[in-house]
Amino acid sequence: MKASRVHAVIAAGLEHPHLLARWQREPDLLRRCGVEPDALDLDALWKFAGLTAKVRHNGLRADLPLTFRLLHVAGLEIEVFAAYAAFRTAGGARYADTTAARAQDLSNFLEHWLDFTRREHALLWDVLRYELALARLSKLTAPVQLAAPAPGLTSAASLPARPRAASVPRVCGHISLHEMRCDPRQVAALLQEKSPRLADVTMGSRYFCYWRQGAAAELHILELDELGFYLLSLADGQHSVADLSRLIGGGSRPAKGLLTALGELASVGILAFTRTSEQVT
Amino acid sequence: MSCGVEYLNTPVDTTAIGLAYGPNIPEFIATNPGLVDYIEVPFEQLRHAPHLSSLQEAIPVVLHCASMSVAGFVPPTEATLAAIKLEAERTRTPWIGEHLAFVNADGLHVDAETVAGPTALTYTVCPQMSEETVERVAANLAALQPHFAAPLILENSPQYFSIPGSTMPMVDFINAVSARSDVGLLLDLTHFLITMLNTGSDAAEEIGRLPLERVVEIHVSGLSVQSGVAWDDHATPAPAAVFDLLERVLERARPRALTVEYNWSPSFPQTILKSHLERVRRVVERV
Repeated sequence: MKASRVHAVIAAGLEHPHLLARWQREPDLLRRCGVEPDALDLDALWKFAGLTAKVRHNGLRADLPLTFRLLHVAGLEIEVFAAYAAFRTAGGARYADTTAARAQDLSNFLEHWLDFTRREHALLWDVLRYELALARLSKLTAPVQLAAPAPGLTSAASLPARPRAASVPRVCGHISLHEMRCDPRQVAALLQEKSPRLADVTMGSRYFCYWRQGAAAELHILELDELGFYLLSLADGQHSVADLSRLIGGGSRPAKGLLTALGELASVGILAFTRTSEQVT
Repeated sequence: MSCGVEYLNTPVDTTAIGLAYGPNIPEFIATNPGLVDYIEVPFEQLRHAPHLSSLQEAIPVVLHCASMSVAGFVPPTEATLAAIKLEAERTRTPWIGEHLAFVNADGLHVDAETVAGPTALTYTVCPQMSEETVERVAANLAALQPHFAAPLILENSPQYFSIPGSTMPMVDFINAVSARSDVGLLLDLTHFLITMLNTGSDAAEEIGRLPLERVVEIHVSGLSVQSGVAWDDHATPAPAAVFDLLERVLERARPRALTVEYNWSPSFPQTILKSHLERVRRVVERV
């Protein structure tokens, strides 16, 4: 086998990993390229493509140190990046130019590729979203403006934290909401150890809100109950408390528990209320 | 920090200790004065981020390169060679470390619908290890070396899988290249260990068969075993086996430089980085 042909085949396989699956299915194609199918370990070449993709994502490590540590500890680096490399090249997509866009692309891929019944995959998905949320919020530089009330709403500034049916809740600052299968902070602590035991992570539904009130404000990680989580996801500055009550299956008259939950969120500063002008007047 | 530009100029019988460039490395060097003697910077990064040349105001620079495709059949462009020459002259690097590998390859006509264009990889690849490649390396070196005042030295590749058409193992290939060309070696001990692990060879035994008298520089980095293969990994510390190999090499050779490559992760523990630098310095001074 001529060395130049062998190099061409290996290079094409690395640049276009989806070709490897084709060569696996149709070995004659490989033979016609000048390489005997039995002489080339396509599975190993597939993995090597994963290594090269991993190295091309080293720029993400600054924002995602725990994600990369978890990938390493769980032995997933090569498997994940080999699959990702094949996915990107099959679609003809190049890797994004910025680290933020690369991180988002990787996240989009993993959301559909990971098998959440596998513990390490579930942990990876949670840790990745945890780090992405913190990275995004920490990079906010522009001062956060409190959104102007929608037409028909009064100004928010002086309204009390105790909501009523006509109150319209809105988020103060920027939030990122994630329903998770573990507490990524527990995983983060474990990953500091020399030989982390991922089996020690407590699994179960958890609801987190990553919150930054303004560019000068520090980041907060709030663990919520299910109701608080959904209320924050619905608080868009447009819907009233009565609307929210209906959206979560209650009546127009909000239940006491709903008002209490909203009041608690307001007391930590993450929610503020306005009222519709109809009710004000 | 001194003014002006620093050049590596260590006595011939001593081994300078350096670090491979990474985003966090300049700060580490600044906060640990005297711990390293030079920084090794890839030509490719200098080319695309010229501001890195200011590193040389603080510490000597040794140039590393992954663009010449020395073991390949598609040569680098004249523009690439001119850019390497420029950086080599500007840094006054004592040598240019280049991979005994290929990055450029011909295009491929897969079938009537699929044609892969000529490839310029961003990662070096172990070549076919055959007489044909040995001859090609010799021809490439003869063509490349006249471009540079500094000597080229060749770095052994990590071998992750069997390369079709190879007729000799890695150690024989390096010996054949050394016999055919008067070229120095950059012995990457981790690449060597990876190759030995992946080919089922005895690293401690095989390292003694290398032409160690040709070794000008040594690389040390980490490795990780995943999906059944040992991989290069500059985000993890070198294992004990790499330090064992280092001691064996130093019993027979006195390289001019030893570069620690912990440059893939900005969160690489600085305590480990520092302790490994101190460890390699102790080893080179003791053996």
